[in-house]
Amino acid sequence: MADESANNSKPFDPMEPWRGMRDAYLDAWAKSMVEMVNTEAYAQATGAMLDSYLTVSAPFREAVEKAMLKTLEQLAMPTRADVVSIAERMTNIEMRLDDLDAKMDSIVKAIAPAKPHGEAGLAAARKAPQQARKASRTNPAARRKK
Amino acid sequence: MPEAAVMTDPFTHAANRLKTLNKVMTTKAAIAQTPKELVWALNKAKLYRYSPVLPAEKRHPVPLLLVFALMNRPYILDLRPGHSFVEYMVKQGYDVYLLDWGAPGPEDKNLKFDDYTLEYMPRAIRKMKAISGSEEFSLLGWCIGAILTSIYSALRPDDGLRNLILLTAPLDFSNKQGLTFARWVDERYFDIDKVLGAFGNMPGEMIDYGAKALKPVENYITNYLKLWDNLDDPRVVEAWHAMNTWVTDNVPLAGGAFRQLIVDLYRNDRLMKGELEIRGQRVDLSRIRANLLTVIAEGDHITPSCQSESIMSKVSSADKELFRVAGGHIGIMAGSGASKFTWPHINGWLAARSE
Repeated sequence: MADESANNSKPFDPMEPWRGMRDAYLDAWAKSMVEMVNTEAYAQATGAMLDSYLTVSAPFREAVEKAMLKTLEQLAMPTRADVVSIAERMTNIEMRLDDLDAKMDSIVKAIAPAKPHGEAGLAAARKAPQQARKASRTNPAARRKK
Repeated sequence: MPEAAVMTDPFTHAANRLKTLNKVMTTKAAIAQTPKELVWALNKAKLYRYSPVLPAEKRHPVPLLLVFALMNRPYILDLRPGHSFVEYMVKQGYDVYLLDWGAPGPEDKNLKFDDYTLEYMPRAIRKMKAISGSEEFSLLGWCIGAILTSIYSALRPDDGLRNLILLTAPLDFSNKQGLTFARWVDERYFDIDKVLGAFGNMPGEMIDYGAKALKPVENYITNYLKLWDNLDDPRVVEAWHAMNTWVTDNVPLAGGAFRQLIVDLYRNDRLMKGELEIRGQRVDLSRIRANLLTVIAEGDHITPSCQSESIMSKVSSADKELFRVAGGHIGIMAGSGASKFTWPHINGWLAARSE
């Protein structure tokens, strides 16, 4: 009964049959296209297109690169090669810093073996001074020692 | 008056639909919203730690590191609230870390698998260990990320890796007839020196075209018709918008790594044959001893199941499982069925091995 009323409340969509036909056609087309792209002929054709594009565009790319290089030199601006070289050096510096960070971590770990490591250790270290202060407040002897 | 209302209603409806379409096609969805902090960075790579939501005593002590592919953004793992693998795992009590490779620039064109697996991954893992306080960890690699995690696991088996999860892992390239990509990048048709000579890195747009051209009708037509048919359904529109934001956010692949992917793997299947050399070391998959879960997407057209099955007989892991799930390459982790099938299975498997 409920289903019936639900079906009745669904507005009639005149496009529904057309959509069904469209989807069936697209499914069939999709299958044939998947088969088509998985052929040697397709691989050969796309390879040839890419190769032609790279061959034809190479002289233009080279000309633009040369012109850009000249322009940047004239303007006393760094070229792409300069920027790349600096970026590579920055990465090397980052790696050395990371090495130092690793060594620092191992030293800290070695000199404080009893201390719990990681997040728990950090939390414990943060708690420790508070607990010491609390103890000195409740223990007059500890306060006198200070 | 009622006649006027009937007359204007279809126009208002059409205008609203066009407004939604315009918004979806021209804006980016709010993605990757699970709270996280940057804990390590090197060059373009970044390691994020997701903020735990459970108290420390209720969390699994073994941290989990997620490694995604090099040529896509990793936020597919944290797509949108309520539909995020990261959010789900954080709620299950894991200390979750994500390694984001970033987008390589011209200065990174020589980066290879060697650098990613023996320079970046060990450093990020060291940092994760220092923060979590655990000497053991779990690794989840997806797609090319699964290649990297497999290589790392084979080269550094004593690094504390307890659990290895490989999602849609393209590791076996022996079945050339079953791999459309292998046909396209055959040396007779695809001149890799010329491509990398022109571009340095493999452009993200070309990789995107390659992935979409495997199923051209679905990706270039049906996908948009699905949106058009469902423009009145906010749930479908929101999901489509988030996925489209991710799909169109392409990243180039470092030239050195792309060359290895094509020459060493697609053309010569060196990883599975045990002939792949990383910084002079032969990658021997039998050195992997960690507990292994391999997840295969049954409808995967990018990484067919034949590429992920044979790893099971190569590794030395005593505890290993092959899990097949219905869905596509991305759908198994980010589709509507992910939270019902894939995520709970991964959680169940990992929870039992993370105490």
